[in-house]
Amino acid sequence: MSYSKENTLLYVENLSVAYGDKVIIKDINFVENDIVREGSTTGQVICFVGRSGRGKSTLFRALTGLVKPTTGKILIADTLTEGGNDAKEVCEGDVGFVDQKYTLFRNKTVYEALTFALRKQKLSKEEKHEKIISYLEEWGLEKVKDQYPNELSGGQRQRTAIIEQIFCSGHYMVLDEPFSGLDVGNIEDAKKAFNMISSLHSFNTIIYSTHDIELAAELADSIYVIGYPTIDGEHANYGTIVKHFDMKELGLAWKEFGLGHIEVVKQIKAAMLAS
Amino acid sequence: MKRYCPFHSAFKIMKHLIKPFEEVGKNTFRMIILFWVVSLFLFWFIGSSGERHLFPSPQQVLTGFVELYNEGLVVHIGSSLWLCFVAILIAVIISLIISYLSTIPIVNPIANAVSKLRYLPLTGITFYLAILISDARTMQIWVLVTFMSTYLTTSLLSMVSSIRKEEFDHARSLQCNRWEVLWEVVVKGRIDHVIEVIRQNLAIVWMMLVTVESILVAAGGLGFLIKNSDKFMNHGRIIALQIVILGLGLSIDFVLNFIRKTFFRYSKL
Repeated sequence: MSYSKENTLLYVENLSVAYGDKVIIKDINFVENDIVREGSTTGQVICFVGRSGRGKSTLFRALTGLVKPTTGKILIADTLTEGGNDAKEVCEGDVGFVDQKYTLFRNKTVYEALTFALRKQKLSKEEKHEKIISYLEEWGLEKVKDQYPNELSGGQRQRTAIIEQIFCSGHYMVLDEPFSGLDVGNIEDAKKAFNMISSLHSFNTIIYSTHDIELAAELADSIYVIGYPTIDGEHANYGTIVKHFDMKELGLAWKEFGLGHIEVVKQIKAAMLAS
Repeated sequence: MKRYCPFHSAFKIMKHLIKPFEEVGKNTFRMIILFWVVSLFLFWFIGSSGERHLFPSPQQVLTGFVELYNEGLVVHIGSSLWLCFVAILIAVIISLIISYLSTIPIVNPIANAVSKLRYLPLTGITFYLAILISDARTMQIWVLVTFMSTYLTTSLLSMVSSIRKEEFDHARSLQCNRWEVLWEVVVKGRIDHVIEVIRQNLAIVWMMLVTVESILVAAGGLGFLIKNSDKFMNHGRIIALQIVILGLGLSIDFVLNFIRKTFFRYSKL
């Protein structure tokens, strides 16, 4: 499937995060570009996999600007400038973040939460209302618009959290284990949500983590394995990228799950077990 | 055909009721409550029927009620409730300000120090307050406020620290600055918890209210009545007053819980 790599959307160089003396992640380097495919709007879907405790959540907190890197830098495209070619250091709020528990404001209904997410947009009250209602309909949430988070199912909470971030955080969204705790139907809904976000704008970039390697291979066009690196025959006790699978180069991106994907799954599992 | 044996059936039910973690139906639970209430009254009637008894008889308590009513019980209840209301209001405002500002590093040690002051004895504080305040009513209010603030601050600090990091991160990811995070997550997002904190601390407040009123009798109130009855060893009146105080405390507790559940639909504690 033909594609071309355009502007750099995400540039991470020499990133490390430490809490006190404890180094959690180190030497993280990767670059992701805007992928352009003829005849369709395609965003980027990037997946991070790795065993528990290897620093995926810390990496995500750094990517969303919620924790300051100890060393290195994270640059994203400044999409507000014309052409989207300028880069800026990531700050709180630039990158949307949906955590494992799909956290929402406990005292706001779905409608109130989305209104809050739109508070900084220069739209009239009516325009905001129309935008919210249109998303609620499209994402199957119109019936629960006046419900509080404790009255929603896991899938409804997740979709609300995703729309909040779409409204508020530009083109980037990080989802920490978006498939954990969801039933088969909700997983299908989440996959649809990924496609919807991806098809909204070419700059849209979804970064997520999962323990479901098959889902990683099926959905992502770029997969990074985070693990403990082996240095002088011994495992270091910090997380870093130990392997990268570019599903586009492998000719597996945007395709139905097949034999090629199964082979990648095997390799990912091997890389995870070795790190 | 198997014959029905009432003893066997009752034994089976009893066995069911004394098993740990056993779930019982609503009606059974009501029957259990009724059983204990009847037992209590039976114990009271039998225990106070002889010549020598520890507790006053129900008749003596009833007489106590009538006497108290004739001496202006309603006015004293009103006085105590008003004192309680004013003191709670001031203490809640002070404690909320301290607790909310405890999220600011420079204020945090002060908030924790206020919480630790709950171990201070009442006497020392009343001495200094007596020097500063001459009016008995104001004195009562500030003694209560001083002590309630320490307990309320302790509970509110615990409320703030129990907020999950994900809630703050969520607000931050929605471009809230730190003050907005404080406002949205801690202040607006936890109003129902504040009511629960007041409810949980109410028992301490109510107990102290009676003590404070009995120390400074000039302004009246239920504490004054209990002190007065105690002086004359009028047991019937003392128990009658205890019942009134317990009933009022439970009523306030019920009202606060009702307010929380009615006005805050999202509140499931």
